Amino acid sequence: MRFCVCVKQVPDVTAPIQISGGQLSYDAGRVVLNAYDASAVEAALVLTAEHGGEVDVVLVGPERAAETVRKALAMGADRGTHLVADGELDSAAVSSLLAAVASGYDVILTGKQAQDSDAGLAGGMLAERLGLPYVTNAVGLAQEGDAIVVTRLGDAGQETIALPTPCLVTCSNDMNDPRIPNLKGIMAAKRKTIDTRPATDVPAARVTTLGYEPLPTRAAGRRLDGEPAAQAAEVVRLLADEASVL
Amino acid sequence: MSTVLSYVAAPEGVPTRASLEVLTRARQLAEAGGHRVAAVVLSTDAAASADVLGRYGAATVYAVSDAAFAEPLNAPAVQALADVMARADAALVLFPSTEGVKDLLGALAIRTDAAVLPDVVEVDWVDGGVGALRPVMASKFMARVRAEGSPVLVSMRAGSVEASEAPVEPTVENVSLSLDASAATLREIAGAAAGMVDLADARIVVAAGRGVKDAAAKALVEELAEVLGAAIGASRAVVETGVFPATAQIGQTGKVVSPDLYIGVGISGAIQHVAGMVGSRTIVAINQNADAPIFDVATYGIVGDLYSVVPALIAEIKKHKAG
Amino acid sequence: MDETFDCIIVGGGVAGLSAAMTLARADAKFLLVERGAWSGSKNVSGGVLWGRDLDRLVPNYWEDPEAGYERFVNHRRLTFMDEGAALTIDFKSDHFNETPYSGVTVLRSRFDAWLAGKVEEAIAASAHPDDSFLATDVLVRELIIEDGRVVGIRAGEDEFRAHCVILAEGVNNLLTRQAGLQTEYVPADGLAVGVKEVIRFDKKVLEDRFQLSEGSGLTNEFVGFATGGIEGGGFLYTNRESVSIGLVISMADLRKKGGPDAGITPYSLLTAFKQHPAVADQIRGGETLEYSAKAVSTGDMSIMPREVYGDGVMLAGEAANLVLNAGRAIQGMDYAMRSGILAAETAVEATKAGDHSKTFLAHYRTALDASYVMQDLRGFQQAVKVLHSPAMFEGVPRIACDFGREFFTVDNKPTRKAYQILRDVRKRHMGFWDLVKLGTRAGRAL
Repeated sequence: MRFCVCVKQVPDVTAPIQISGGQLSYDAGRVVLNAYDASAVEAALVLTAEHGGEVDVVLVGPERAAETVRKALAMGADRGTHLVADGELDSAAVSSLLAAVASGYDVILTGKQAQDSDAGLAGGMLAERLGLPYVTNAVGLAQEGDAIVVTRLGDAGQETIALPTPCLVTCSNDMNDPRIPNLKGIMAAKRKTIDTRPATDVPAARVTTLGYEPLPTRAAGRRLDGEPAAQAAEVVRLLADEASVL
Repeated sequence: MSTVLSYVAAPEGVPTRASLEVLTRARQLAEAGGHRVAAVVLSTDAAASADVLGRYGAATVYAVSDAAFAEPLNAPAVQALADVMARADAALVLFPSTEGVKDLLGALAIRTDAAVLPDVVEVDWVDGGVGALRPVMASKFMARVRAEGSPVLVSMRAGSVEASEAPVEPTVENVSLSLDASAATLREIAGAAAGMVDLADARIVVAAGRGVKDAAAKALVEELAEVLGAAIGASRAVVETGVFPATAQIGQTGKVVSPDLYIGVGISGAIQHVAGMVGSRTIVAINQNADAPIFDVATYGIVGDLYSVVPALIAEIKKHKAG
Repeated sequence: MDETFDCIIVGGGVAGLSAAMTLARADAKFLLVERGAWSGSKNVSGGVLWGRDLDRLVPNYWEDPEAGYERFVNHRRLTFMDEGAALTIDFKSDHFNETPYSGVTVLRSRFDAWLAGKVEEAIAASAHPDDSFLATDVLVRELIIEDGRVVGIRAGEDEFRAHCVILAEGVNNLLTRQAGLQTEYVPADGLAVGVKEVIRFDKKVLEDRFQLSEGSGLTNEFVGFATGGIEGGGFLYTNRESVSIGLVISMADLRKKGGPDAGITPYSLLTAFKQHPAVADQIRGGETLEYSAKAVSTGDMSIMPREVYGDGVMLAGEAANLVLNAGRAIQGMDYAMRSGILAAETAVEATKAGDHSKTFLAHYRTALDASYVMQDLRGFQQAVKVLHSPAMFEGVPRIACDFGREFFTVDNKPTRKAYQILRDVRKRHMGFWDLVKLGTRAGRAL
């Protein structure tokens, strides 16, 4: 099958990120392939290794995000497309740009959300634009003939859903441990083609970020000392009288 | 007059706590903006929850009943919601931020040409648009966002507002649709056992972490949850080792919980886990390691051995409930 | 891919990237392998990059709005401290404002990624845009050595061959030992531990507090009580929106006088240093972003590798122990840069000559000897001894502080002449002849 994996470059959320004047700042070097997308790439590589096929990756983002396309190629993807776009794009705009290049595939995979915006919308939007059936938050993916069988984490439990192809699935990072590219992969990636073109017809954003704020501070916590029995008695008293939750 | 519509999840005919919170907020925003307030229920028997929804102020209840809603597939829900949004002339639709909602929000937005603000903790009208506050960057920061135009879809994290009653006699509109056959087919749901409290909707959550290593410790966590009537959650570490099911996972990659009371047992508080529980109203942490990061967010911290602290806690809670 | 590279570089720090840039400019086919990401695991160091080699690698780098340095240094301070006081020598000069700058502060987490990006640009513009590589997250465990000659590396299952290998692997010199250029681990007594915190400030607060203009920066080095009587010193550098503050502590002396048993750890020393009145006021109100610790060699030439080259192999940067412990801070990034450049230049010449033997690669040693790097290191050998003498972190700072206390205290007594004060405080802390001897040694060495 032909897979298209939509990937995004995001700041490394485990690295220090500062906030000042309502804006976030982080070291320019600390950007990574979105972890959920890495799981999507891994899933596509595993399925094509077993059943045959090929894997293309598509990225919408600034010029410097080319390194993230390269990272996916180093993992083993076959070809890359990089739609160069700067500035904030909302999920609707991103899905519109992706729709123009992601058609004609058997399976489109994306991460279930981006680690920076945590929105989780672009996958469903892209599926709707392309008229594809889709499933979000997949933790397992299998190929059965022409169908894709997805295990997703839903509200009531693990749902197993069969999708005819073409279809779209958004992936959780609980699905697998993405491979770290080896040296051969890194070297091979350099010789793979990345189709780089400016993003055109970028829809106007209807959702904008006005600014960032630190998390509301929680009142300083209290440590309860003493023997376990005393600690337990005190916490129950506090939960009943102070926090009013018992 | 256009509508502020509230999406209600009502498994087995009972609206979830988070749905009633969302309905409460929808009612407030409808009042503030001069709109009608309505609820929409997609269920096998959608009218069943109309009474409860009226109690929380839903003037109109759009009840879409169809056998298709027995299964958690997104296509019929998207179709039905798009239809109800058009009927109701919805300017704003509020949803509880459940996995089911996350599964349909993107497609619904494109289908109805709506702007979306997902997974917010605050929402309000802001000069002609809709403004919201939402956690981003693995819940390390809040982003203040704004959506233009109409309609706007907003999903809210559980626990963001307090549900309150404002009884009205609801008009029930039974909506009958001919739903398209779903391309996707459900094979099975390997779910939590029946009768268990749903994690995302629970008022009290007891969560187990790496410190819960053996059957004895697991039994203590289960007993604590039972005396509290709590749902059981877990960190990724103990889900990966198979001690707890994947459905119990709390965190950035699992469920986001914001109960009134969260008790973390043997949980160190890795950033990925904290991202999924930091919205809890009261946090109790029990951990042997006094430096565990969970204590940074805990309302009450108990440094101690879970094998002695948890039994003492169970005894005290029983005493409290009896007394 | 059976191709043979002109050169393989192991290590993507300053030395490795400088070598890579030099090779890319010379149209060489090369592979650079770094075990971490450009930024991340090794964000430990940072400090001041002295000298003008950066301009050679990235001409007019200061014109790049995204340039990876923090601030150029035009203001330097040296502070002598005892328990409660500090006397500071302060030097600021317009001369330092001219480009190319003579020193810039850097945070490696930003700098290395930027420099790597510049190398990628140079590769793209070279004759082998698709045949030279910078690879991160790859661990090299083994050199391929045939007939005593280094011919490549093994990474995971794969082998990669090259005419020569430049080892720029830093203080963890696994491959250097495999190449037979260093027999042992660097002995613990030849190591110092560097501990550092990066403390964030609002840019305006930082510039006001340290009297910085847009882009300019300050370095402050500390001797004396900074390290609580344990051999070492302290430093504070201003970055764009933060300061780097830390200590360099002799491991041997720490073991002798402190250690975890005595409750003295590098971290506890850093905490005490930050609470010293002379320091506390400078970092008040800041937010600590990261704490890091790193072992560094102390720059004692007596623990230099046997040689910095062999058959098919050269050492650069800290792998070659090309660092200088100036007593207060470790100086090494500039040496790393120069040695990387020289090793790469030698590799290019060797490829032209078709000779990568030990005999040819000896040119690297010659070039290094002729450069300021070795002259500095040799010249400073005496200085290293002086700076490591107990007087430098005990007696001298006490004299300075006592002098300052008396000289600057107004107490309505007849004013004493400065030399009288100095004589008296000196008597309290050091024998006259000790001071003369120290002065003479220091004079000769510096």
